[in-house]
Amino acid sequence: MRKRFIACYILAVTLGAVSLALAQAPAPGQAAPKAAPKGKGGRGPAAPTGPTPRLPDGTVDLAGVWMGGGSNSSDITKGLKPGSEVVMLPAAEALMKTRRSQDDPQGNCLPFGIPRGAPYPWRMVQTPTHTAATHIFILYEGNIHSYRQIFMNGKHPADPDPIWYGHSTGTWDKDTLVVDTVGFNDKFWFDYLGHPHTEQLHTVERYMRTDLGNMTIEVDINDPGAYAKPFTTTGQARLQKPGDELLEYICQENNIDLVHVNAPAQLP
Amino acid sequence: MKLNLTMIAVSAGLLMVGLPAAAHHSFAAEYDSTKKITLKGVVTKFEWTNPHAHFYVDVADPTGKVANWNLELASPNMMQRNGWTRHSLKEGDQVVVVASQAKDGTHTASADTIQKSDGTKLTFMAAPPPDVK
Repeated sequence: MRKRFIACYILAVTLGAVSLALAQAPAPGQAAPKAAPKGKGGRGPAAPTGPTPRLPDGTVDLAGVWMGGGSNSSDITKGLKPGSEVVMLPAAEALMKTRRSQDDPQGNCLPFGIPRGAPYPWRMVQTPTHTAATHIFILYEGNIHSYRQIFMNGKHPADPDPIWYGHSTGTWDKDTLVVDTVGFNDKFWFDYLGHPHTEQLHTVERYMRTDLGNMTIEVDINDPGAYAKPFTTTGQARLQKPGDELLEYICQENNIDLVHVNAPAQLP
Repeated sequence: MKLNLTMIAVSAGLLMVGLPAAAHHSFAAEYDSTKKITLKGVVTKFEWTNPHAHFYVDVADPTGKVANWNLELASPNMMQRNGWTRHSLKEGDQVVVVASQAKDGTHTASADTIQKSDGTKLTFMAAPPPDVK
């Protein structure tokens, strides 16, 4: 079952192609992406290839429409960084056992939170664009149609309100964007199985654009309220083909399926 | 419109069709992939909506009693990226649908494949290019 889900997920990722305007714009001074051959099995050109793009001041440019990169949406204990393991505290285990599939917040059109992956593209936006950003925004197509704000070189509030995406600050560690987030609520699930977290959750994301088309994302999960020790998820994001854009996704429009679900939280 | 419809339950092992990815909620929690059904009927409505597209088909059982089935698909965004358009199905289309029925026993299912009377074959997420049926 899970293998088939993953196969369909990969299908969605690899066949992602729409014929809308606005190609991936290269950074000023950056060569345009090579015109790649038509992707095998796809409907459009393959994802562009080339070196990691940079802004004029040398900062890595993360802008673009990406797919993937989140943790394992089915089971966060899978696909961890080597040497990492998930050790739940008894209270978290007990809570997880009570969870029902129909109560998964993302199924109810609420955010995935961090770092759960979604089968929808997302756009990284930096501003300003000519030099190192003061703000970085992540625009999510789904699930849900929302956004995150990363305040570069910012400071967390002393007593942040607990919210879905928390409060994020960003710094550069050489060519790696490091995003530190606190102030989460305890509402979103890490995966379909219902792995929980508490408001003590603290995440550190590392975005490493290894070339034009690929970005490795590692996320340290530190939640002493739910897990005995920190662990680190890994994900691979792929730059989408030139011309791919985010589409509208208003989840609340016609969310009629959950009335047919009455089952323990489980793999998709 | 005259309905010429049958519903045939078949075992999962007879059908080599993929299991839809329910990216928005757990497919396994809602549908029984081991209980494949074939629905033959007429499309009464096509909802090109989020988080999932749906279409509805009037299906008659062997006694002639008609039920309106709710067939779930992927999200329009995923489907659009794989060849579907909001015109891929329309009211009045004659279709044969292979699907996984909802575990709650209602006339609800997740569509694996849809065969239209003009020969076009659609799947849960993908449709052929316009020049290929």
